[in-house]
Amino acid sequence: MNNPALTEVVISLLLVVASLAITRYWKINVAKDISLGSVRAFVQLIAVGYVLQLVFDIESVWLVLLCLAVMILIGAQAAASRIKGFRGSFAITLLAMTVGSFFTLASMLALNIITMEARYIIPLGGMIIGNSMNATALTLDRLTSDVKNNRLAIETSLALGKSWRVASVGFVRSAATTGMISILNFMKTVGIVALPGAMTGMILAGADPLEAVYLQIIVAYMLLAAVVVTSIVTVELTIRKFFTRFHQLTLND
Amino acid sequence: MSRPILESINLTRTVSIDNKPRTIVDNFSFQFQQGGSYLIIGPSGAGKSSLLRLFNRLDEPTTGTIRFHDKDQCNYSPCKLRRSIGYLFQTPYLFEGSIIDNIRYADSELSDDDITRLTDMVHLRSNLIHSGSSRLSGGELQRVAMARLLAMSPEVILLDEPTSSLDPTHTETIEELIGEIRRKHSVTVIVVSHDPAQALRIGGDALLMVEGRLIETGPVEQIVNNPQTEFGQLYRDRKLS
Ligand SMILES: Nc1ncnc2c1ncn2[C@@H]1O[C@H](COP(=O)(O)OP(=O)(O)OP(=O)(O)O)[C@@H](O)[C@H]1O
Ligand SMILES: [Mg+2]
Repeated sequence: MNNPALTEVVISLLLVVASLAITRYWKINVAKDISLGSVRAFVQLIAVGYVLQLVFDIESVWLVLLCLAVMILIGAQAAASRIKGFRGSFAITLLAMTVGSFFTLASMLALNIITMEARYIIPLGGMIIGNSMNATALTLDRLTSDVKNNRLAIETSLALGKSWRVASVGFVRSAATTGMISILNFMKTVGIVALPGAMTGMILAGADPLEAVYLQIIVAYMLLAAVVVTSIVTVELTIRKFFTRFHQLTLND
Repeated sequence: MSRPILESINLTRTVSIDNKPRTIVDNFSFQFQQGGSYLIIGPSGAGKSSLLRLFNRLDEPTTGTIRFHDKDQCNYSPCKLRRSIGYLFQTPYLFEGSIIDNIRYADSELSDDDITRLTDMVHLRSNLIHSGSSRLSGGELQRVAMARLLAMSPEVILLDEPTSSLDPTHTETIEELIGEIRRKHSVTVIVVSHDPAQALRIGGDALLMVEGRLIETGPVEQIVNNPQTEFGQLYRDRKLS
């Protein structure tokens, strides 16, 4: 296989057909999902391909920033929509993802790990934003449900004269950990259990395995930083919504 | 001779339930004297717990004021105020960890002697104090919560149905404990009870509360046996749900 062209893509459709046949034979009712999924994957990815091509050709800082902003907006909206019964979640996911993503990208630029070029910023930014979206959604979800389910414990602390900060610190910490857990697990098993996508992609495209590994390590550390910052910003913004300035728990349900 | 320690003036709390406003504490005015023993009685849903939450400043009044030592409660830091006006919830909650951990949570600087003094005060068996809080009986749990409350050396204690989950023998010992605490430590005690017989056993001044309002006050014997108001008589005759 050389660098794939449209012909290979079309031929690979045979695998979709095979999947359809197999599931039909076992009467697993996913034919519609398979067809729709395959078409969507095709259309969305081709569209992204053209957009990226355009962005790389124009090579404007503003265009790159615009792309990042759009990705963050869509991601923040998706993350917020996963949380039910919590007003103002979009503002939180948006701010947390923005801070997490820009902190990480800016650090990478400042440390000269990458340069301000669309071909670095866009794909790395995409990975960062995707991970930071999951982190903020998981963290926010965990913290809101923990606070609601532990009203008695929190108010017991408050009634014993503890500040809102002390009364909620355990839930804040475990929620932040929830947001970080998947990247931490990823780092523990990477290379042993599975080869990650970025590295696989580079190797397939003909890069040195070692070069691909270096990149993958950088990617892992970068995602770690993004997720840690996003989770912390999320809990810090969220927990304040639950308390008045008189250290009273307010559950607007 | 005595002077007011806690005073509520036209205290009102309105909450919204299904977007409709509902007044759960309604224009409640009363002076609690230092060192006194008070019983708040009334049917379920009368707003007794809601009133204690306001005294502990866990909720904000909609209108009206609460004064502590002749000063508006807003002049105190909420955390300090809560340590002076200790509140034992209707369902006491213990944190994970040992009984000592739970008592120290109220004051991390307690010495071992302080802990012994507190556990003795609530008659908690000393061999229990290092064990976890999960296997305690209802009565023991209540005692630990009481010891933790006393660890803050509050001037007023608010006890919300302190025996509602206990059997008769435990109920009796907790009632005795309440009397002891009041006598020995000159604490102002405000007990919520739905049981008139218990109110009589504890003794003091009773406040009858119905639908958020203070209906009648006086010596507990009078309020329970010989009330002057229509609501009071209905309550005595158990005709208020
Ligand atoms: N935050 C709140 N939102 C809505 N309704 C509330 C709130 N707090 C209390 N209530 C309602 O206010 C009323 C009074 O409740 P409260 O718990 O104070 O009664 P109570 O006298 O302590 O009753 P019980 O003897 O059963 O404990 C109840 O009808 C309750 O449902
Ligand atoms: Mg109650």
